Amino acid sequence: MAGGLCAGRRGPVTVERANRIRAAAVLALLVALHFAVRPRLGSPRLTPDFLMLALILVAIRSRPGAAAVAGFLVGLLGDAMTPARFGAAALAHTLVAYVAAWGRAVFFADNLLVNAGLIGVGVWLRDLLVLVVSGTGGRGLLLELGVWSPLLALSTALAGVVVLAIFRNWLDIRLEE
Amino acid sequence: MARQPARLHSARDTVLLLVCLTLSLTALLGPREWGDAVGAGLRRTVAVPLLWLQERAEESRTSQARFRALASARDSVAVLAQGVPMLHTENDRLRALLGLGRRMTARYVPAEVLHQALPTDGRTLLLSAGGNDGVLPLQPVVAPEGLVGVTRSVGPHAAVVMTWTHPEFRVSAFTQGGETFGIVAPSVPESAREPLLELRGVPYRDSVPDGTVVLSSGVGGVFPKGIPIGTVIGVAREATGWERVYQVRPTVNPGTVSHVLVLTQSSTWPADSVPDDADR
Repeated sequence: MAGGLCAGRRGPVTVERANRIRAAAVLALLVALHFAVRPRLGSPRLTPDFLMLALILVAIRSRPGAAAVAGFLVGLLGDAMTPARFGAAALAHTLVAYVAAWGRAVFFADNLLVNAGLIGVGVWLRDLLVLVVSGTGGRGLLLELGVWSPLLALSTALAGVVVLAIFRNWLDIRLEE
Repeated sequence: MARQPARLHSARDTVLLLVCLTLSLTALLGPREWGDAVGAGLRRTVAVPLLWLQERAEESRTSQARFRALASARDSVAVLAQGVPMLHTENDRLRALLGLGRRMTARYVPAEVLHQALPTDGRTLLLSAGGNDGVLPLQPVVAPEGLVGVTRSVGPHAAVVMTWTHPEFRVSAFTQGGETFGIVAPSVPESAREPLLELRGVPYRDSVPDGTVVLSSGVGGVFPKGIPIGTVIGVAREATGWERVYQVRPTVNPGTVSHVLVLTQSSTWPADSVPDDADR
């Protein structure tokens, strides 16, 4: 853990600050990956949603209220860039982030695969909410939720496993060995 | 691992959630102008560096493929261009003989499509070109294959396009040859395999065979005449004795298109297949 690196007279405060800076660096990296690398990876419907991954990682290490605020802000950004139904993404991201933070606190999900599942379910649930609120119905909804959303959720969950495996100390997320 | 009971829930968390939900629902249920204003404000401020990053990435991804396509197109055009001066002369003489004015040409702004991760990406698209490039609201957006949509809101560096998959999209259209006119709209209900269009308002007496190309008619003034929209693949439904609605397979898939042209000034799309007598 990072605590040993910063032990000193103002130990706990400095450690907490260092952890926040490291977590912010990882989140900034994910945002950069989303906008600078994701477009190069191929179809936007299959490549990992790094922004959603960052949001769920924030939710996992935050209180539900703070997670809801983060979700609202990320959703608002999504609405600005895909304004098919303005407000749909804000609503969906708020609910998913809140549920992720609450679920993590309740279910003690300190396992890498459980966290990956949480990320995948979060992406799928986000898509469900956005599509329903946007008025997508019938067969189009089934196709999206049965094919494209699971593929996006899977790729995002896999990216989440990699990020958690590499940066779990920086993100201050405890996982079972 | 033990958790702090206070972490599970608190009044503060509930208040924050309710505030966020209220704001989201206000954005969702409020007038569309509010959402457009907030979205445009975000695209002009916090999203600028993010869009800049994505635009560079899109350019990098497509540059090699576009270079090959451009080289191929340039070779083809070079061959065709050899006969152009003679055709121009001949065209000018014929137009002078018939008393016609000069043919209008289309002006356009090229733009990258910045695809997003949300599942509604495709109903609207974000373009890398905006007001600073000469793009205005309500301008047609086309790909080499045909119609993509129309610009809805425009910022200095980016523009939002309402594509043909958007439920509110409509375009006046006619069939190749000019026999049948109608309104093209997204198919309802949506197809299981692919999003389709419908050619509506076709009189019952008019029959449109499968495979007929549907083009924009120019009526309404937004879309110029002659942009390919799609191909008729069958009858969707019919009101006996009144009208037929035809299913149309679109020429462009907005979900995969990566490079488009915004037509900033046009009267006729330069397609050879456009009949001159279509303006009824």
